[in-house]
Amino acid sequence: MGDAGGQDFPKASNVDVLLLLEGTFPYVAGGVSSWVNQIIRGFPQIRFGAIFLGSRRSDYGEIKYALPDNLVHLECHYLHEHAIEDYQPAPTDGDAEAFGRAAMLHDRYREARAARGDAIAAGRAIEREFAALLPQMRAGGALDERAFLHSRESWRQITDNYRARCTDPSFVDYFWTVRIMHAPVWRLLAIADRAPRARVLHTISTGYAGFLGALLRHVQGAPLVLTEHGIYTKERKIDLFQSAWIRDNRGVFERRGGEVAYFKDLWIRFFEALGRSCYAASMRIVALYEANRQRQIADGAPAERTLCIPNGIDLQRFAMLRGERPADPPPILCLIGRVVPIKDVKTFIRAMRSVVVHIPHAQAWIAGPEDEDPEYARECRLVVESLQLEAHVKFLGFQKVPELLPKIGLVVLSSISEALPLVLLEGFAAGVPCVATDVGACRQLVYGHGPEDEALGAAGEVVRIADPQALADAAVRLLADPHRWRQAAAAGIARVERYYTQTRMFAAYQAVYDEAMGRAAEACAAEPSSRKRADGDAAASPAKPGAGPRSGCPAHATQPALVSTTAPD
Amino acid sequence: MAGIGFELRRILKRGTLLSLLGAYGYAGVIGSGPWVLSIVGILAVGLLTISTVIPKFAVTQFQVSVTYLIALSLILTGPFQLSYTRFVADRMFEKRNDLVLPNFHAVLLTVTWISGIAGLAAAIFLFDKESPAYRLLMVAGLVLMSNIWIATVLLSGLKQHKSIVALYAIGYGVSVAASIALHGFGLAGLLGGFVLGQAVLLAGMLGLVIREFPSDRFMSFEFFRRELHFKSLMLIGFAYNLAIWIDKFMFWYWPPTGQNVVGPLNASLIYDLPIFLAYLSIIPGMAVFLLRLETDFVDYYDAYYDAVRSGGSLALIERYRNGMVESARIGIFEIVKIQTIAALLVIVAGGGLLRALGISELYETLLHVMVIGAGMQVVLLGILNIFFYLDRRRIALYLVGAFLVLNALFTGVTLALGPAWFGYGYAGSLLVVCVAGLIVMDRVFEQLEYHTFMLQRSA
Repeated sequence: MGDAGGQDFPKASNVDVLLLLEGTFPYVAGGVSSWVNQIIRGFPQIRFGAIFLGSRRSDYGEIKYALPDNLVHLECHYLHEHAIEDYQPAPTDGDAEAFGRAAMLHDRYREARAARGDAIAAGRAIEREFAALLPQMRAGGALDERAFLHSRESWRQITDNYRARCTDPSFVDYFWTVRIMHAPVWRLLAIADRAPRARVLHTISTGYAGFLGALLRHVQGAPLVLTEHGIYTKERKIDLFQSAWIRDNRGVFERRGGEVAYFKDLWIRFFEALGRSCYAASMRIVALYEANRQRQIADGAPAERTLCIPNGIDLQRFAMLRGERPADPPPILCLIGRVVPIKDVKTFIRAMRSVVVHIPHAQAWIAGPEDEDPEYARECRLVVESLQLEAHVKFLGFQKVPELLPKIGLVVLSSISEALPLVLLEGFAAGVPCVATDVGACRQLVYGHGPEDEALGAAGEVVRIADPQALADAAVRLLADPHRWRQAAAAGIARVERYYTQTRMFAAYQAVYDEAMGRAAEACAAEPSSRKRADGDAAASPAKPGAGPRSGCPAHATQPALVSTTAPD
Repeated sequence: MAGIGFELRRILKRGTLLSLLGAYGYAGVIGSGPWVLSIVGILAVGLLTISTVIPKFAVTQFQVSVTYLIALSLILTGPFQLSYTRFVADRMFEKRNDLVLPNFHAVLLTVTWISGIAGLAAAIFLFDKESPAYRLLMVAGLVLMSNIWIATVLLSGLKQHKSIVALYAIGYGVSVAASIALHGFGLAGLLGGFVLGQAVLLAGMLGLVIREFPSDRFMSFEFFRRELHFKSLMLIGFAYNLAIWIDKFMFWYWPPTGQNVVGPLNASLIYDLPIFLAYLSIIPGMAVFLLRLETDFVDYYDAYYDAVRSGGSLALIERYRNGMVESARIGIFEIVKIQTIAALLVIVAGGGLLRALGISELYETLLHVMVIGAGMQVVLLGILNIFFYLDRRRIALYLVGAFLVLNALFTGVTLALGPAWFGYGYAGSLLVVCVAGLIVMDRVFEQLEYHTFMLQRSA
């Protein structure tokens, strides 16, 4: 494991796929990071690079994942930290025309937001302005960081915008909000200028990483692929609505109910603009499930470029467990997940009160680490005590999932927010149905999406969030009726084998990468002089035929295969 | 002159015409007190000893000696005055009052060394024909006055204005009385009495300082650490004091206009008296400058920075900025108005005044020019103070530097051109610098918000 200093991290001057990661792999353990790890290891013949964007170095400890061998480049940048130069700023006039064009870019964002019509045209308008502005934003240009911070033109624009648009009285808050918002842009441009050359750019969220992707696309010309797990913009909106740190300086009589404070709105629109830039620059926009894909389209992603690639599990590993299952459903409900408020463990515990009335031997297992929010874990235990369920509810701590699955009757998911929970899929693969709340992709997983999928049957039940009674009723219905339980288990197995295997996911991403590399090769062929370079990895020829794109001389790049052959299930 | 605004506003709040006069009077006394007292003191000794039996020349020697003491001590302590005031203000803001007294002693020590060594060297090598008593008293006087300026600056920064005026009154009262009492000893006696009064004055000030600033350390030298003092302020202090005196020095040492009086010290029969009278005429101008700056201007200044920091709207910030501009404009205009009146009064009554003082009426034109020039010096002081408030030290330095260079240059030219031009060097250089200062101030105010927000140092 390399240390945070970054000296141990591998470095390369060019890569096949450059991953752009914000706050995930390799420093933060979690679903997205594990997925990134899975993807890198799933394509051993592809040379991956990764740029990690974080807030502050001190917010992260050691890296949480062993770096795969085919991760040939890793660099880390912390956007909230930067060396503050000590200099006395000199007054400058600034270039009126350049700042005028910057204003036009902001107008394009506003139009895109308001129009909600032709996303492709709006995106193209944004891209155009962007491409014109980027060269001027480098150090020494008319729109470099110093011009933004210190020129009279910049001041004029800030004050004009304040007068025209700001509904919050405080000028100093407006001024500094604008400054803080724009500060990462120049840093990201510097990062993009120094990044290794990539054939394909793959960003795992919008936000700053997505913006970096858009910048890299302009700087290097490589195609950009976006995969969104959660929707970044939506998550930031939730954060912002709940945040207390953003000032609202309106007086009592100025506030109107329902109207968001100006600065919160400004931040929301800022993140939306980041998202839009990423959508406009991406050739493929991947969501995990259909509801999220619709969300992306609503946020400005051109529908033609979107597609769903759900996460997939290692079927083999969990299919083996089917043999160990008892014939009748064991009266054990298990919540596999961290004991944190977003998993709403308390609703599960309350549901047990009702379950044990109908099934006296029923047990609830809570299998997950409790150290992330010890206060909440303590509260959960108090709920158990107050409902006198000590004999029925057990806190197991972190457990290996394959050891649990053969022993339990139902996987329970009571979260109030999820994306595509892998734990449900793992349960299905091992023959365990589930009861889940209606969040994220759960409905899609349990009941299916589309007529073919729905025909496979229900792999459990989906209930409303924060409804212990409904949760309990659904659990009792499944556990008390062995026939129903077996049907649900069969549906789950069929569904996961058909749609949610790792193999399928890898194949889908292979197709995406192939398409992207094809685009890259086309672009290369169109401008041979600008892109010819010795990639140096022509020697790393993979053993598997047709797997992975060839590198080397662009003019002789073979037409890449669409499906890679990996070991069948 | 910090803190004087509070007192002035208290007087003005009564809202009657009499209170307005009272406020101006108070400002006049505070602003002009110390140096008016010193000038009046010197002149008083001269006048009061005229009737007694001492050679008139001894009186002139005494007056010239004291004038040189004042000039040289001001120039020597120039580098410390502004920068030490700023040091004290910064430390008090940081609630580090315990650093004030030790550094005060450090600065006094430094100043004593400098003035002591310079004085001793001069006494040994330049005054070798004078009596030992005189030479010793001169060195003592130089050291005492240098220390007194530092103490004055500190107490002024601490808003102890009434105490300063009172101590100066006492000190110069003792000086005058003692000089007269000791006049039987000739020049040494006159000087000895004067030095005695200065010692009393310094002792009083030191006592006041120690009472206000208890500390557990006697002396420490934080002031001399590079990051805690401002080189620009030291240069400004030095240059300003030198600039004020350089034309006098040139007149004193230019053979046609200067005469040797005692030791190496020269004086200029035709130049000195008009200057002193001219400086007396700026008392009302100083009062006005103080009043405007410390009430209206400071109010808007505080309001401006409060609005910037605590979330005022841009329109509000601009309104306060306009208020600053308005009060600065009114203040400077008022100085000009009142000094014009003073000048007119002097022009009308000047001849009679000179006759009453037994001075030849040939000096009258010179007096007129000097009065106008001195009035403009008050305007320059106002401009400089506004730049200090806005913390634009570099601009103040350029203005003061220009004043120094131009004063020397123009005075040299007028000396060559002849008596009809005397005095225009001083007045002309001040005119140029004031106009330049006003133009620059206009630009600075226009861009104040841009400067406040966009040009902060990032560290």
